[in-house]
Amino acid sequence: MSELTLIDENGKRSDNRGIDDLRQIKITVGVVKNADGSAFIEFGKNKIIVAVYGPREVHPKHMALPDRCVLRCRYHMSPFSTDTRKNPAPSRREVEISKVIRESLEPSLILSDYPRAVIDVFVEVLQADGGSRCAGIAAASVALADAGINMRDLVSACASGRLGDKIVLDINDLEDKEGDADMPVAYLPNTEQITLLQLDGKLSSSQFNECLNKAIDGCKLVYEIQKEALMKKYFGNETEVKEEV
Amino acid sequence: MQEIKKRYVIPGDKIVEGDYKPLMNVVRNGNYLISTRVGIAEAGKDGVKVIPLSGVYIPRVNDLVIGKVIDRSSLSWDVDINSCFFAHLPAQDVFGRDFSPARDDMGRQLSIGDLIIARIVSFDRTRDPMLTVQDKDLGKIPYGEFIKISPTRVPRLIGKRGSMIQTIEQATQTRVIIGQNGIVVVTGRDVDGLSLAVKAIKMVEEESHTSNLTQRVRALLNVQDPVIEDQSKNTTISYNGNNVSSAPEQVQNTPQPQSPTNAVPSADADAAPATADAAPEQVQNTPQPQSEPQNPSTSNKRSNNEKSENNLSDNLTGIDQKEKKQELVNEDV
Repeated sequence: MSELTLIDENGKRSDNRGIDDLRQIKITVGVVKNADGSAFIEFGKNKIIVAVYGPREVHPKHMALPDRCVLRCRYHMSPFSTDTRKNPAPSRREVEISKVIRESLEPSLILSDYPRAVIDVFVEVLQADGGSRCAGIAAASVALADAGINMRDLVSACASGRLGDKIVLDINDLEDKEGDADMPVAYLPNTEQITLLQLDGKLSSSQFNECLNKAIDGCKLVYEIQKEALMKKYFGNETEVKEEV
Repeated sequence: MQEIKKRYVIPGDKIVEGDYKPLMNVVRNGNYLISTRVGIAEAGKDGVKVIPLSGVYIPRVNDLVIGKVIDRSSLSWDVDINSCFFAHLPAQDVFGRDFSPARDDMGRQLSIGDLIIARIVSFDRTRDPMLTVQDKDLGKIPYGEFIKISPTRVPRLIGKRGSMIQTIEQATQTRVIIGQNGIVVVTGRDVDGLSLAVKAIKMVEEESHTSNLTQRVRALLNVQDPVIEDQSKNTTISYNGNNVSSAPEQVQNTPQPQSPTNAVPSADADAAPATADAAPEQVQNTPQPQSEPQNPSTSNKRSNNEKSENNLSDNLTGIDQKEKKQELVNEDV
């Protein structure tokens, strides 16, 4: 039943996208002046602000690691981010998403460069519409680059899923709730490594491969937008280094 | 090997393929060198590096930093150097090796809240940075306009061979002390010049990645392009309107004649420990005429130290700016 409402006979989805289309993505870098690095992402109707602080001194001190930096992530949904009020206290889901965001960002960072320090990443969801963890990871990675943390690569993230027998890219809130499977993927585009892979739902082996490949293709598209946002912030419209006269 | 042209990079960008040496903010992945920061990639004789455009200050040995004294223990001061690590300034560094917490009052030298310019003598992965003020031009900063800029903008603010900062100093008749940690202190008698210098420094910070910045700073300061007067000297700046050739003299300290105390440490070397000798050296650099030679035969290390106490904050007045800039210009952009 669900596929009838989620994909029409012309192959269009509930928000008029094709099965391989991403939602509109816009990233702005350096929106929080007090933070060392920050980014604001609009991923369809998702609106997420990410602020990065650090490397800075660890409090409480006993958390410090002698050989590397501690990465702390806090994913939080504002009470007004959903249609019914969200309790601002950290929920089980938020604690879990904070953990998976941290684990998806960690492989990209060279944490051994900052021993005995901490990097704090705050992901604040202002408006949620499905796929907020992927949007949060993409924005967090850009904010970390803005903060000048040494990293091997940016982390791009995108979800794919199954609606009936169709594998679709970048599922929204409705498709997440009513669809048959949801697979968020975080990916390092230059080193071609996957740092996050979750799956909620059932997929056959061939569907799994198709879904994963589609998500990786989506990540590559997100990467181009991340790259453009960073280049725009730091270099404006200049593409080549001009020597000072 | 292929030619490497300067270019803008973000983390993960492949800079070059081949057998190049990765230097600063570059890692090797297979046969490629990859940038780890947002910045400008360039290749020198030694290898490939990326000059970063963002990031906090990570201490390095021999860096000159400006810090704020935030705490005091019985043996050292804790100094905030705008980094994730607090630095320590040992009391022995100021009072000499025979410092005694029972006898010497650390509060007479430095109080909490004081600004100091110091050099990092040691720092590694396991210990917090250790500072020293036992060098020429180091010590307490008594007054000035405090500005915090991004540490990645410091080389740009200094400019090639100190050109940018010299332009600002000469045009505004101020003195600018720059710490590698991104803290800048501007001093000067003229209030207008002071505010203009602050404005120029903030402009350099905000527009550091753009080209032709020096020209725009000159325009802001109402300074003409440099005119070469003498081939043997550095480029001099000519100004609009005012007679400027004499302007810098007000703020730039003329090099002091060599003090006769130069010979003292070696003469006293056997009698006194090295650190105790270092304190009188500091006195030599002060422009005050009363920094007389000490009597090497007496064991008056304490009086020497007391003298250095009195002069701790005066050290800055005798700065030979050229030398200081030479030290600061480690990484010209």
